[in-house]
Amino acid sequence: MNQIMAAAMELRCWGGDWGLPSVHTESLIILAYAKFSGANITVSPVDWTWKTITASVPELLCGDSAVQQPTQILNFMRKQRFNADYELTARQGADTMAYIALLEEKLRPALLHTFWVDAENYINLTRPWFASRSPFPLNFIVPSRHANIALSRILLTKGEAPLHRISEVEGRIYSDAKECLNLLSYRLGTADYFFGNLPTSLDAFVFGFVAPLYKASLPSGSLQSHLRLLDNLTRFCDNILQVYFNSDHLCPPPPVQDTMDANLQKLTQLVNKESNLIEKMDDNLRSSPQHKPHRLEPKPSPSSAKRSTPA
Amino acid sequence: MSLAADAFVSQIAAAEPWPENATLYQPLKEDQILLSDCASSLAVQAYLRMCGLPVQVVCRANAEYMSPSGKIPFIHVGNQVVSELGPIVQFTKAKGHSLSDGLDDVQRAELKAYMELVNNMLLTAELYVQWCDDATAAEISRPRYSSPYSWPLSNILSYQRQWEVRRKMNAIGWGAKNLEQVYEDVSQCCQALSQRLGTQPFFFNKQPTELDALVFGHLFTILTTRLTSTELAERIKSYSNLLSFCRRIEQTYFEDKSS
Repeated sequence: MNQIMAAAMELRCWGGDWGLPSVHTESLIILAYAKFSGANITVSPVDWTWKTITASVPELLCGDSAVQQPTQILNFMRKQRFNADYELTARQGADTMAYIALLEEKLRPALLHTFWVDAENYINLTRPWFASRSPFPLNFIVPSRHANIALSRILLTKGEAPLHRISEVEGRIYSDAKECLNLLSYRLGTADYFFGNLPTSLDAFVFGFVAPLYKASLPSGSLQSHLRLLDNLTRFCDNILQVYFNSDHLCPPPPVQDTMDANLQKLTQLVNKESNLIEKMDDNLRSSPQHKPHRLEPKPSPSSAKRSTPA
Repeated sequence: MSLAADAFVSQIAAAEPWPENATLYQPLKEDQILLSDCASSLAVQAYLRMCGLPVQVVCRANAEYMSPSGKIPFIHVGNQVVSELGPIVQFTKAKGHSLSDGLDDVQRAELKAYMELVNNMLLTAELYVQWCDDATAAEISRPRYSSPYSWPLSNILSYQRQWEVRRKMNAIGWGAKNLEQVYEDVSQCCQALSQRLGTQPFFFNKQPTELDALVFGHLFTILTTRLTSTELAERIKSYSNLLSFCRRIEQTYFEDKSS
């Protein structure tokens, strides 16, 4: 029982951008959990160091021990008496495990694809970001290594042997991810957090997965547009950022949202209810431009009708 | 199959009622089938019995290759062939039989989440124990998997399968785990399931759902399969409500065969 050790925890993680303390999902999970449980950890970003390739990120260093993997790190923090879950009932703890498994199985492949495999996003956003944060000559190696790992993970877990081609699984993983986001939205409802009034580890996991998708400026983001339609999830992210991270870069929802009128909201609810069939047709929808905010009807020009006024 | 084709097929499926001669294919029960495949197959059988849909179980040595997705089990209904529990549940739903209609949105979210928990933890642990643990792989998995084939095909196929599974385990981060950690994960998963089940007869109180079928399939298979060590079964046996759950489903759906 080393209480002294508890004060000296250091987290190695990727740095922040887009209004988030970190752009990396796992790092974000741990940062959020640390805030929720009141742990004091010093954040040392691996940006611009050789640790981008040598260290496994995220990593928690405490005294002599180094812990990796979010679940192990969270367990370690719990053992150090930093527990955000102590008020949960046994059943809620079981629910937490189940929802985390749901996130891992259904949402992670699509997130990996959106950030690392989708050509537009990778070339315009992800690769420049990670390359700019790695020292020369790692800036050539680090992004492509992550991209290869992401692609092989998607193919190995979701691809059907022996046809290991990404195009066949794309449609499926995106529809799974949209369904997962819908399910999270149903579960969250109108509450601030998933279990009661205080955030727990499940909130940390959901925040870690959803926040980068919400905040990154992705050139091609069908999943992102779907997420933006789910108000309670976006509010959840903004709320956590505001309360726990005191972020000044609270981007207000993009102006696109304002022009979405009530009809589109109703359509969204219909889509969510009939999610199966409509998401199946999403394959076709994805190839066409989506959600263009052009619901403004052209104002009828005042008709200057020449009326013969009775003299 | 692309999504548009899937939707088209399920619309066609909806048009026809469930035929009498539906068949479920799995590998040979005595010699070939492995723990994970047996669990998945039993889950599907349990689900179909819960829906009251008759299906014949046929064992074929090449079932894995006949399956459209390469996974066991698959069912052959009318003109369609559907594999794996998830698509089969959707398929039967298109035909009008569903166990989870009475659930509201939040419960359905829980249902899906717990099913993913079982897939993520139990199924992965089963695969790990079968193929990544050298003792089990050498004594049980490889000989059984390749039993219908003669040398050298048997060697090639079994090592290929082992290599595939190990690659997958490495990709998802289980490659670095040792057996003890895997057993610990299984314990935690069972603890979560046990807490969720509580004292209820089924996971969603009165009615069985696909989650009950899935959990039954995996737990029953682990309890009744002989491996090199009984550790896995012992971990499950420490949760008495899960044991009585399995017994109850076995007695209700598998012992009174009225066909």
